Amino acid sequence: MNKDQGARVLIVDDEKGIRSFLRVSLSSRGYAVFEAATGSDALEKSASAHPDVIILDLGLPDIDGLDVIREIRKRAKTPIIILSVREDTPDKVEALEAGADDYLVKPFNVAELQARLKAVLRRFAPADTTGDVLRAGDLAMDISAHRVTAGGKAFDLTPTEFDVLKLLMSNAGRVVTHKQLLQAIWNKPEDLEGSLHLLRVTMSNLRGKVETRPDWPTRIITEPGIGYRLRSGDSSD
Amino acid sequence: LKAGSIRPYAWSTALIILTTFLGEIIKKHLEPTNLVMFYLLVVVIVAVRWGKGPSIMTSILGVLAFDFFLVPPYLTFNVASIHYIFTFIGLLIVGLVISTLASRMRARTIEARLRETRTAALYRLSSDLAAADTPESALLAIRRNVGGILGGDVAVYLPSGSEVHPVSMDVDFPPGDSEGKRAQWAFESGKTARNADGRKASRNILHAPLNTKGGILGVLGIALREPGRNLTKDEERLFNALVSQSAVAVQRAKLAEEARQIDMMRQTEKLHTALLSSISHDLRTPLASITGTLTTLLDQSRELDVSGQRELLRTAREESDRLNRLVGNLLDMTRMESGELRISKRPCDLRDVIGSSLEQLRETIGNRTIRIAVPPDFPEVPADLSFIMKAFANLIDNALKFSPADSPIDITVRVSDGDAIVEIRDGGIGIPANDLERIFEKFYRAERPRRIAGIGLGLSICRGIIEAHGGTISARNNEGAGTTMTITLPLDRGRESK
Repeated sequence: MNKDQGARVLIVDDEKGIRSFLRVSLSSRGYAVFEAATGSDALEKSASAHPDVIILDLGLPDIDGLDVIREIRKRAKTPIIILSVREDTPDKVEALEAGADDYLVKPFNVAELQARLKAVLRRFAPADTTGDVLRAGDLAMDISAHRVTAGGKAFDLTPTEFDVLKLLMSNAGRVVTHKQLLQAIWNKPEDLEGSLHLLRVTMSNLRGKVETRPDWPTRIITEPGIGYRLRSGDSSD
Repeated sequence: LKAGSIRPYAWSTALIILTTFLGEIIKKHLEPTNLVMFYLLVVVIVAVRWGKGPSIMTSILGVLAFDFFLVPPYLTFNVASIHYIFTFIGLLIVGLVISTLASRMRARTIEARLRETRTAALYRLSSDLAAADTPESALLAIRRNVGGILGGDVAVYLPSGSEVHPVSMDVDFPPGDSEGKRAQWAFESGKTARNADGRKASRNILHAPLNTKGGILGVLGIALREPGRNLTKDEERLFNALVSQSAVAVQRAKLAEEARQIDMMRQTEKLHTALLSSISHDLRTPLASITGTLTTLLDQSRELDVSGQRELLRTAREESDRLNRLVGNLLDMTRMESGELRISKRPCDLRDVIGSSLEQLRETIGNRTIRIAVPPDFPEVPADLSFIMKAFANLIDNALKFSPADSPIDITVRVSDGDAIVEIRDGGIGIPANDLERIFEKFYRAERPRRIAGIGLGLSICRGIIEAHGGTISARNNEGAGTTMTITLPLDRGRESK
């Protein structure tokens, strides 16, 4: 937990109410909070305040949120978590394609937001890797030994399943898109229906091995139309 | 003169010849003056049968034949006695008078017969129109009657905006721009347009405006079937009568349609009012709890212990979830109504759909037992994962809400007849038999006393989503207790859109 102490968060939202409760809740968890109410303000502070992570509302009064993401991405890789009232899959995909790292639909649970914050920050400081071991929740992956365990129980994974789980675990708590998975594991484009089928089958097999109840997965969560998310265990929900 | 008009004269001449021949035979036994009676009889017959022209001819021919053959001296036009002159004149005058009277009578008979046909035609049209209960059937009645009586193909044009378009038309009515233009002209000028069909062998076409007190409502076109035929004066009169009756019918249909729409609007308005009061109730209730909680915490935080505060906050949290669900449902319904539901189908693993829906409901499910039976190697279903998950989550949530906490929920999946069949079975209170269909109607709960929170949008949204996938949803009560919701989703991508 301590690694997040002092992380700098830029909150971009034109709603004062949202900014103020986020400020209170995040400061109390030790984050240094900066605020911006407009797109142009956000662009300025994203450079001047050196944030470690940006929480961005898509509906800003001056600049389209998607353009704000693209503009920031031109200069920096600072992780961006989107807040939006729109829950449609195409909107989420568009934001992720524009360069956002994760997505939360308003209204949201603060614990959920904090889990996402941790997840994106972890990507830049992978401190959960002790030597060659990845951890997420009760899952532990020994990369060099090609071994995955949970609570002392070992899973017998194929090399592909192992790679998929590795990618999910190293992004624990973050959404990993279909595109990212297909690119990283099979080096295939997303638009081929066959490759998505391959992904679904692999995921189903993987769940069959690592989930307590494969028909009701609680570790690997489906993000409809977007991808998958490995529950990190950080979230209090 | 036409062939048809020569025939009466030929017949008349033949009758005169026959009478003269008869006279030849009996002239020795009778006075010639008496023989005149036979000619008179012929004149009367001809006058009654064929009218004025032939009867005048018959009178003259009769006088000449009588004089030539039957009055001495025979075979000359000379007459022996002066009194035969009077016989001649008498015969001629009687012939003329009778023929005039007879032809007048004949004209009246014909007129009466025409009037009868016309009345019958109008009567048939009006009774057909009275039986017509939709604008479409009224138009059909007009077409059938007008076309049948006058021997033509009929089209009815009605305006949309400032232009008339054929809305009901016989198959053989010549379709073309020129007919449309004539109809438009008749509509604008209020006069009957006449023209010949340019393509087919000269069929005459009339376009008459449907004129009422309220203005011109449309145009009736008739293309006479027989080439070259024109309407006679009488037929034209009949046509006009039929047209004005049609106009009245069209007006009536229009008024009925307007009345129906007004009625529908009133119904909709009633529904909206009911809905508004229901929505405001359902929006305000959770808001009231939230406001109450927050003001309590602000004003009385010192008097409350920690567990009391947590209790209040938990309620507020649940209520805000409820509020969010309600707003989400309203939003979904609005989008569905305006046709903005963007369904994009991809093959989906139903196991994943069910599992993810359950995961969304994790808090609600708590310790409830959920049994899932999906056959291994179940085929993928073309669906929009996020929408179908929403529908499933809604249905499972319903099953949880309407069944006791210790009863299990069963979810089974199978294939039948090219469809994936999903059944969600609860052991709850069931649904009254005559409500099984209605529960999928929008705002159904709005009209019922509420037992459990919600304004009855959930199931109609489910139905909207399932139907947008080309599937069906239905509810039935179980033998023992509870309800089973059955969802079918087509497995075949080709059948997807309905």
